[in-house]
Amino acid sequence: MNTTQKAAAVVFEKVSKAFGSVVAVNEVSLTVEPGTLVTLLGPSGCGKTTTLRLIAGLEMPTAGKIFIAGRDVSLLPATDRDVSMVFQSYALFPHMTVLENVSYGLRVSGMKKKQAGEKAEAVLAQVNMPGYGARLPSELSGGQQQRVAVARALVLEPQVLLFDEPLSNLDAKLRRQVRQDIRELQQNLGLTTVYVTHDQAEALAVSDSIIVMRNAEIAQKGSPRDLYEKPEDIFVADFIGDANVVKAEIVRIDGEQAIVRVGVIEIPLPHRGLTPGEVDLAIRPESVQLSNGAAGDALAGEVLKATYLGGHIEYTVATPVGELFVIDPRVHMMFSPGGTVGVSFAERGVTLVHP
Amino acid sequence: MRTAPASAFGRLWQNERFLSLALVTPALLTIGALFLYPLGFSVISAFSVEDSGFGIANFTKAFDFYSNDILFTVIIVGISTVLIGAFAIAIGGYLTMGESPLAVSILKWLYRWPLFIPFIVAGQMMRTFLAKNGLMNNMIVGAGLLDPSQTTSFLDWRGIVITFVWKQTPFVALLVAGAMASLDRSTIEAARNLGAGRIRILAQIIVPQVRPTIVVGLILSFVVMMSVLSVPLMINAQNPTMLTVDMAFRINTYGDYGVANALGFISYAMTGFVAWIYLRQGVRQGGAP
Repeated sequence: MNTTQKAAAVVFEKVSKAFGSVVAVNEVSLTVEPGTLVTLLGPSGCGKTTTLRLIAGLEMPTAGKIFIAGRDVSLLPATDRDVSMVFQSYALFPHMTVLENVSYGLRVSGMKKKQAGEKAEAVLAQVNMPGYGARLPSELSGGQQQRVAVARALVLEPQVLLFDEPLSNLDAKLRRQVRQDIRELQQNLGLTTVYVTHDQAEALAVSDSIIVMRNAEIAQKGSPRDLYEKPEDIFVADFIGDANVVKAEIVRIDGEQAIVRVGVIEIPLPHRGLTPGEVDLAIRPESVQLSNGAAGDALAGEVLKATYLGGHIEYTVATPVGELFVIDPRVHMMFSPGGTVGVSFAERGVTLVHP
Repeated sequence: MRTAPASAFGRLWQNERFLSLALVTPALLTIGALFLYPLGFSVISAFSVEDSGFGIANFTKAFDFYSNDILFTVIIVGISTVLIGAFAIAIGGYLTMGESPLAVSILKWLYRWPLFIPFIVAGQMMRTFLAKNGLMNNMIVGAGLLDPSQTTSFLDWRGIVITFVWKQTPFVALLVAGAMASLDRSTIEAARNLGAGRIRILAQIIVPQVRPTIVVGLILSFVVMMSVLSVPLMINAQNPTMLTVDMAFRINTYGDYGVANALGFISYAMTGFVAWIYLRQGVRQGGAP
């Protein structure tokens, strides 16, 4: 199977979708480059699944245009698009065997039973499910059903592969394994893939690029690293991982840099279009550094809570700029609750955010 | 800690077996008095012969006189059952996959009406509608499609089938549409995503998943149609006709309960066969039928 040659770009041009008076997707423009995995990430009801269904043709846009491989498919029904989807519930046909499920799309397209069966067997082997063809979906575990659903989507060699929260029905341990498998498969086959999830850790782990959605619109798009380290606003900072959002002040602008005062500390940061005055500062928990006692160039802090979690220690520290949540990997030393600490910030993981 | 000894009544009342028996007794008595006793009596009567006690003389007479009607009944009810199944699946399928909300709403509102019309009223309606100079032919003549001399009456086996299908389709459609509505919709969307059209989805994805409900609905319908007297009596009482008409005729004209009960037993054997399928279906589903 050579899917790489078929991988296609997906382009949205100001696409909107309304259900009556409810706008589910509002003038969304995006591009998914061929062979990449893009994740639509956001809270429930933000429009990410509707966006995915618009690509699949299971919903038609109210306005705007959708292009797949340069062809306008905006009003093309699902049956006429070269797009396969893995559903959240897997949507396996319960009355058909695994082999019949996987070969169903091929049979619909007119392929002979024997040929379709052979091809389905090959794809089942590709997802590590050889020999399961005669079983019914009800005889499989959740992880196995998920693999069959992936095989059923892959067997058609689609231009675009869609995943709608594919890991939400799996337990935490299996989720990690399956997401690695999905990423490996996507990279090996060079598939254009759009992946929907509300789990930020999952999004960071599997994506080339992430699109964060909020209230039917795109809040921010970029690489996982960009989104984590340079969130545009408080929503994104808070949604992608944990963030301490504190009030700070831009003292002056110096070229691309803003000199930002946080309590007694002054730190240079990219100004991101903000002007002198009060601003919001997002600080990742692992970018907060604790030291023994209050030093001159650090904030004075008091440890309120300390929790040992094996691989790291979590602290809640009271400071003049507010309570900070801190993740400290130095498990060999632990600050006790009630103790005084110095609080400073690392160079990475601290960024100015728009309100 | 010692407790006071319970009274005899208390002990008896606490006995779960007695309690459960007490609960089920009224139902058992009702079934026994109103179903098993008349059924047993009618079976005994069917096998009773005036001079020699028991025998199959009533059955011999029933087959001699009414074998055509037995065959007619099976064919009429069989054809009706098949048509009811086809229409119920079509209605359920459209309610599940129809893309016009207005059309779905209208169908949903309309299709259940015949459920609330008694068989005898349906029979009378069809007499008016299907007669040679009835409403249907008048409309056809009015539309210029036929001359009045070319029209024919449908008040024969076709009339019975049309009435049964009209009356029973909503009942089966109600069950089937409910089962279809409770399906995981993502399986339908997955089939669409894999390129299947609506007819193919209905035949290959939806119907197989609701097959037990379809079978149960059709079997119940079959049993109801086997027992209807008013429709064949009003639409087609001539020869051949259905067994219910023959039974009424034997009793009302000759007071011949023996042959009437033999015909009843034959009807019961037919419905018993489909009831056996129904019960087997229930067991397969793992719950009460």
